[in-house]
Amino acid sequence: MVSLVETVEWMGANSDVLVRQSIQHLSIALTALVIGIVLWVPTGVLVRNNERVSQVLLGASGIVLTIPSLALLPLLIPFFGIGEAPAIVALVLYSALPIMRNTVVGIAETDGAMKEAGRGLGLTDRQLLVRVQLPMAYPVIMAGIRQATVLLIAITTVAAYFGAGGLGRSIFAGIRLANADQIIGATIVLSALAIVLDYGLATTVRLLPNSEVIDT
Amino acid sequence: MSHDTATETASNSIAFENVTKVYDDGTEAVTDVSFSVSSGETATLVGPSGCGKTTTMKMVNALVEPTTGTVSVDETPVSEYDPIELRRKVGYVIQDIGLFKHMTIEENVGIVPDIVGWSDDRIENRVTELLELVRLDDDVRTKYPQELSGGQQQRVGVARALAAEPEVMLMDEPFGALDPITREQLQNEFLDIQAGLDVTIVFVTHDIDEALKMGDKVAVLQDGELIQYDPPAELLRNPNNAFVESFLGEDRQLAQLQTVAVREVMGPANEAPTNDGGTPLSPDDTLRLAVQNWLRSETDVVPVVEDGTVVGSLSEVHIRSIFDGRSRAIEENHV
Ligand SMILES: Nc1ncnc2c1ncn2[C@@H]1O[C@H](COP(=O)(O)OP(=O)(O)O)[C@@H](O)[C@H]1O
Ligand SMILES: [Mg+2]
Repeated sequence: MVSLVETVEWMGANSDVLVRQSIQHLSIALTALVIGIVLWVPTGVLVRNNERVSQVLLGASGIVLTIPSLALLPLLIPFFGIGEAPAIVALVLYSALPIMRNTVVGIAETDGAMKEAGRGLGLTDRQLLVRVQLPMAYPVIMAGIRQATVLLIAITTVAAYFGAGGLGRSIFAGIRLANADQIIGATIVLSALAIVLDYGLATTVRLLPNSEVIDT
Repeated sequence: MSHDTATETASNSIAFENVTKVYDDGTEAVTDVSFSVSSGETATLVGPSGCGKTTTMKMVNALVEPTTGTVSVDETPVSEYDPIELRRKVGYVIQDIGLFKHMTIEENVGIVPDIVGWSDDRIENRVTELLELVRLDDDVRTKYPQELSGGQQQRVGVARALAAEPEVMLMDEPFGALDPITREQLQNEFLDIQAGLDVTIVFVTHDIDEALKMGDKVAVLQDGELIQYDPPAELLRNPNNAFVESFLGEDRQLAQLQTVAVREVMGPANEAPTNDGGTPLSPDDTLRLAVQNWLRSETDVVPVVEDGTVVGSLSEVHIRSIFDGRSRAIEENHV
């Protein structure tokens, strides 16, 4: 039987390891997230008016998401070696669908009357994008980024199996040693990270005037 | 702009010449339409839904390009303007209002001045001026559109369209989504506002009463064709065909009374009753008010009084005289 008391005791005894792995975990996941945002939001913006291209890109990123990470990671090792690099590449690919899809959809769904008024008042396409469409799409884009965040935190765990650091180390070690406290303890920390990040990102939306947090 | 508008006097602010619009899917929305709006005038475009009003209006600010024919603004073909520049000098109000939900009222109203590079001070002063003009409390400037009522939002819509001092305003069913009382209030206020501005207006509506009320001239459209383009009184007196007649409605005569001033039809002062002939009329009253008074009065002739002196008299004959032209037209049509 697992006892929560023992789990907490294990966590206490190994807090230095858990903290170090949490930092590694966050650094891998957040690096990938930042690259993903920098890559996929502008891509979504660029393809917003081209239905064909955006369908193709969204289709491809949907397919990527169906590849299990246990299969995708070893595929990348020949190109990027072992450790953090292939993990980050894989994570960036996984983040494409939620981020790009929400960018495209968020922009496309800007209230028609606002677009019409903006155009009629003489805003250029770019001004309409920057002043009207992106601010209106912001909560939708943020919802995509939050989805991606939780997804990347989870997948980073698997990357430990292929030589990247993070909380996955403790979990895989726990499995090898049949140490339930270790597995559960590391998982609790992992969940806490995901919840805190998700909540923090939701707050950035709430701070904006008239933006509602979109639940995913 | 390469054009030299030397003939400022002729100034047709907006002109349509044989304009046809066929959309990509083959819909012919506007067919061979020609009309012009003089500087400072309001033209209303009226007709049933789908008759091409919006399409016609959008060709003025290059949101829609004519398939054939020419639309000119200030005597220069729209096609020779940079569309963005043109739209910035043409105010635009739509039925759905389309206020930017993430911007305050101040930012909404100031958006065109902002993108054309006015200084912050100048924009702030202009916003103050405009809020006053459209009778909104200055408190609203920091509010968001959703915090305002529909009527207030449309006032902001009008203020936003007027912000950069446009010479031309396009208004597409601006009061269409409002309740009847608010609509009437906004119509009246807008007539007031407009009287103080030197702006040419194209006003789209599907409501004939609104068209007659707001327009110096009314363009009646049917299936993309311009059936009649006349001042309200003339339209009521001489509808071109059965469509216009039926569109004007059963109470056309009542509407017509609204368009004529007592002064235009009254009889000589010496026919006015010398005894107390009921509430006197002013020469500037509409005939509609006159009929109301006349029905209430005990005599058949009502005096018309200006500055304390009797200047005319009004009886049934005078009131009926406005329908004479029309009855003649009907006789001609029916032979
Ligand atoms: N972008 C478009 N593409 C194709 N057909 C259109 C488009 N816009 C309007 N139409 C059609 O053109 C006709 C006139 O439309 P519109 O000008 O909006 O009329 P109104 O404003 O009088 O209701 C209608 O049959 C409408 O369906
Ligand atoms: Mg319309």
